[in-house]
Amino acid sequence: MPEQRTRLKRFTPVHRLWHLTLMLLFMLLSVTGVAWMFYETQWGRELAGLFGGYQGALEVHKIGGLVLLAALLLHIPYLFYCIDWKKFPGSLLNANSLVFQWEDIKGFFGHIGWVFGLNDLPKYERWGWWAKFDYWAVWWGLTIVGVTGLMLYDPVLTSDYMPGWMLNVALWVHRIEAVLAMGHIFTVHFTVEHWRPGNFPFNAGMFDGTMPLEEARHDHAAWVARLEGEGRLDAALVAPPPVPLRILYFVFGYSIILLGIYLLVFAVTNAALLTLF
Amino acid sequence: MSVGHTIISLLGALLMASPVFGQAMNTPEDLAATGFFRDQDTLPGSFRFYQQLPGGEERLWGIGPSHPKIRRSSFKLDAHEDVADFSQQVRCQKCHEPQTKDLHGLRMDISCVQCHRNQPVSGVFQYYSPLNPIRRHAYVCAKCHEGASPSFASYMVHEPNPIASETRSTFPAFYYAVWFMLILAGGVFVFFLPYTVLWWLRDLIAKFKRSAGHA
Repeated sequence: MPEQRTRLKRFTPVHRLWHLTLMLLFMLLSVTGVAWMFYETQWGRELAGLFGGYQGALEVHKIGGLVLLAALLLHIPYLFYCIDWKKFPGSLLNANSLVFQWEDIKGFFGHIGWVFGLNDLPKYERWGWWAKFDYWAVWWGLTIVGVTGLMLYDPVLTSDYMPGWMLNVALWVHRIEAVLAMGHIFTVHFTVEHWRPGNFPFNAGMFDGTMPLEEARHDHAAWVARLEGEGRLDAALVAPPPVPLRILYFVFGYSIILLGIYLLVFAVTNAALLTLF
Repeated sequence: MSVGHTIISLLGALLMASPVFGQAMNTPEDLAATGFFRDQDTLPGSFRFYQQLPGGEERLWGIGPSHPKIRRSSFKLDAHEDVADFSQQVRCQKCHEPQTKDLHGLRMDISCVQCHRNQPVSGVFQYYSPLNPIRRHAYVCAKCHEGASPSFASYMVHEPNPIASETRSTFPAFYYAVWFMLILAGGVFVFFLPYTVLWWLRDLIAKFKRSAGHA
């Protein structure tokens, strides 16, 4: 007997590919960047040793950064492809759009009210305000680390086009934005997406592309209602992926999560050994 | 060699070489030159790369680093001339501890004399000092950073504390950029870290309520 179609399609294969690319490059850049940042500590030198010392770590970091910037540039034509040009510009504000809308502001304050027990959970559409924040945070984050990273890529060449002291500024901006990004992903993103009681211990949504319909009725009520109203809900339901695939998602996902936690824990415990000023 | 060739060579030598004789190489462009050409040096307008403002500090509308007070010793051939208890046996760190705590020292294990040269250590603004800004890029930076230009040499190796209030006047771009980033990052963490904990707790309560409702 085939398994019941209990899961709602949420992410397309292309969405998942973007996330996978970003995730792998982000972790590579995190490991090599943290190794370089903590190079004065024993732990940092060991981490850099995995790449053959600081030069290797820095080289991998630079190449990884260029690939990530290339992916970001490639994402722009993809966005243009996603836009519904026939109904443009109104389509930018449709329910599937990641553009911030008035509904998101209401959804944000409604969420705070719900957390403090003042009101019911707002009926969210496909993307909650936190999902949109995460999406756009990648944009501003990558713009900041990308521009400063390119400046630091070849300091001698950069200083032909701007004063060399801009590199003092660039390094600190790069560093703070990187700490912000890693800190946010390894604490807030992991908790919200994987460790909240509804998702614990692991939410494979970004890997299999689905979420349980039961959960969607609660967390994305407006989305499910819209699909039902348009008579598209049945077509959007799928059975859970086969068990071997679920095991693969779990093992792969958790190795990434544990790597993030490892970096976070050791960075925090070694932070006192770091000379910043 | 034919007579024609000799004449052409002589003419060429006279025409090409004459400006060199009797003319000191002391234009800003000469002093700023790194001694070899890079790809971008052959582009039109590349002379801009070697332009320096008077004083050698391109502050870019006043937001770059400035030297509000330069010690007299920075102009002396022996910068430690007036230091009463100075001895060549004393380690630099004894008095210059903060200057050893930067990327060059901490991560690259670069020792002081690799840039400040050996005894007597001259002041960085002394006319013949290798660290004098007119030749710092070529005599010091380029030892490791091939092709270093005067602009490159304006990077502050001994950078100030970016969040200290003095830095607001001595290096405004550094101060404001770092504070902006700290407020941005701090703002995100101050909101999201506690909020995520509350959200987690609220989810737990909701889950209990739902399972109680089903039971």
